[in-house]
Amino acid sequence: MQFLESILIALSSLKANKLRSILTLIGVIIGVMTVIAVVSIIAGMNRYVSDKISTMGSTTFVIDRIGIVMSDEEWWEAMKRKRLTLEDMEAIRENCPACEVVGARVYTRRKVKRENQSLSDVLVMGGTANLPQISSINVDAGRHIWEFEELHRRQVAFVGWEIADKLFPNVDPIGKEVKVGDRRFKIVGVAEKRGSFLGQNQDNFVIIPITTFLKVFGTRRNLDILVKSADLESMREAQDQARTILRLRRKVPQNKPDDFAIMTADTFMQLYRNFTSTAYLVMIGVSSIALVVGGIVIMNIMLVSVTQRTKEVGIRKAVGAKKRHIMWQFLVEAVTVALVGGIIGILMGTAIAKIVSATTPLPSAVELWSVVMGLLISSSVGIFFGIFPAMKAARLNPIEALRYE
Amino acid sequence: MLIQTEDLWKVYEVGAEKINAVQGISLEVEKGEYMAIMGPSGSGKSTLMNLIGCLDTPTKGKYYLNGRLVSELSEDELAFIRNKEIGFVFQTFNLLPRASALHNVELPLIYNGTEPAERKRRAQAALKLVDLEDRMTHKPNELSGGQRQRVALARALANNPSLVLADEPTGNLDTATGAEIMALLGRLHEEGNTLLIVTHELDVARYANRIIHIRDGKIEKEERLKK
Repeated sequence: MQFLESILIALSSLKANKLRSILTLIGVIIGVMTVIAVVSIIAGMNRYVSDKISTMGSTTFVIDRIGIVMSDEEWWEAMKRKRLTLEDMEAIRENCPACEVVGARVYTRRKVKRENQSLSDVLVMGGTANLPQISSINVDAGRHIWEFEELHRRQVAFVGWEIADKLFPNVDPIGKEVKVGDRRFKIVGVAEKRGSFLGQNQDNFVIIPITTFLKVFGTRRNLDILVKSADLESMREAQDQARTILRLRRKVPQNKPDDFAIMTADTFMQLYRNFTSTAYLVMIGVSSIALVVGGIVIMNIMLVSVTQRTKEVGIRKAVGAKKRHIMWQFLVEAVTVALVGGIIGILMGTAIAKIVSATTPLPSAVELWSVVMGLLISSSVGIFFGIFPAMKAARLNPIEALRYE
Repeated sequence: MLIQTEDLWKVYEVGAEKINAVQGISLEVEKGEYMAIMGPSGSGKSTLMNLIGCLDTPTKGKYYLNGRLVSELSEDELAFIRNKEIGFVFQTFNLLPRASALHNVELPLIYNGTEPAERKRRAQAALKLVDLEDRMTHKPNELSGGQRQRVALARALANNPSLVLADEPTGNLDTATGAEIMALLGRLHEEGNTLLIVTHELDVARYANRIIHIRDGKIEKEERLKK
């Protein structure tokens, strides 16, 4: 009853003076809104990224000449490194017992044409025939590239969903020809639709045998070597073996670091986490400033409320209210005010997250824990900044309070 | 004996000056009495009422209420005593403006943890006692002065206190309404309640059986009235 009464008093005074209420609540609203919006967007990206990275598989690693560079110096150093070649891949294939599947890929961007229609800036990838065993690309129609096609440098292509959709709107593309650059390729398969990732179209690609790729687009190209180990346990062993083989082949002195990079799904997750932790830090900064300001405003309003209701406190004390009763009443009121701000903040933060994911490629997911945290944060603000006014009310002398006009 | 004070003193310090508001008052009140404390303003009668009402503690002296020494209790213990033993009626009614008559009467019962259903029942009974059963949902500003004072009386009675303490109960009422309230107080006395009225008006004090005149913080004289 006491509780309910205090809550109702808080709500009715919020309702009675709307402009003042908005000003009172704005700090808490902004604080909670920031938390919800940032957490929702990051959570959405988390799911998305971990989905995408997990298709790479936890038993797969990529060997790349450059790796992830964080500075110009690293970049220039990496650019001097030797290219990775098909021979490097062969060496790993033969000498790494822990490596179950070893493949390679190489990229370029070209215009893809069929008769008078064309798509520009298509990702053209040369891959070994075993690539589908390493990174999952599902077949919608037809088949993947065969090993003998790789061996004989056949001009065949496995195309992304969009290529088939745009260039062959009304016909079955299997067995038809497309022109990549100025060469003709026969389509053997179409990939399943993959959608987009962070705004990047994922269906706009052509895969051809790596051998054909090197013949057609030039051999002086750098490869990525992809390795899949048998299981999680042999993952580290496979990496060590591959590293040793490459260091030997590339004649890296013992005291020098690798002149290539081994990247796993973890490496990407790590990179991604670094980015999100920065976002979290910014969020914590913005929301804590807003919450402190919001809390001070609430404290101010509560002090006004205590002064305005001095007489009421006197009456309550005269009929037997103890200090804690008065304290609770004002604390519940402060928490109610803060919680109203928190709830508005949650709704607005959710709305922002939805708007962001509707208008930009960033996905979002409103997490239950962030909603709970929003409520907890706002009620803590209410308690923290409400306790001083509540104590002030509780300490009022009953005689003086009764005399107050 | 309901009230027993022994050499009660209340000294206020205002700056360097000491003001002796109550100077060694000893008095006794029996259960069921109807007593008035009379005196001009500044006589110390309000201070004495605050002491008797357990709103304040004496600087010196002892005060027994219902056999219990209350002059040395803490603030929260006094709150408990006020809740249990004393019902206040004030000159300015002192009702919660936003609450209904019923809720105002329930207030003392809230603070002693009475169950909601029982609380409502007892508050309704108290309002019936002051003939306001048809005004229970009204807020104070929807009631006349006399009705407000009757709500205050119902609140004072809700918890069956040992003592009803009325401070200038007719001070804000016109003569006719004041007489009504005094008649109601008389009825409550006949029903067995102990009443203590603080007033500066002899007409009001005359309703009581016994009048104590206070001047300069001391008992000037005491008179018993035959009814």
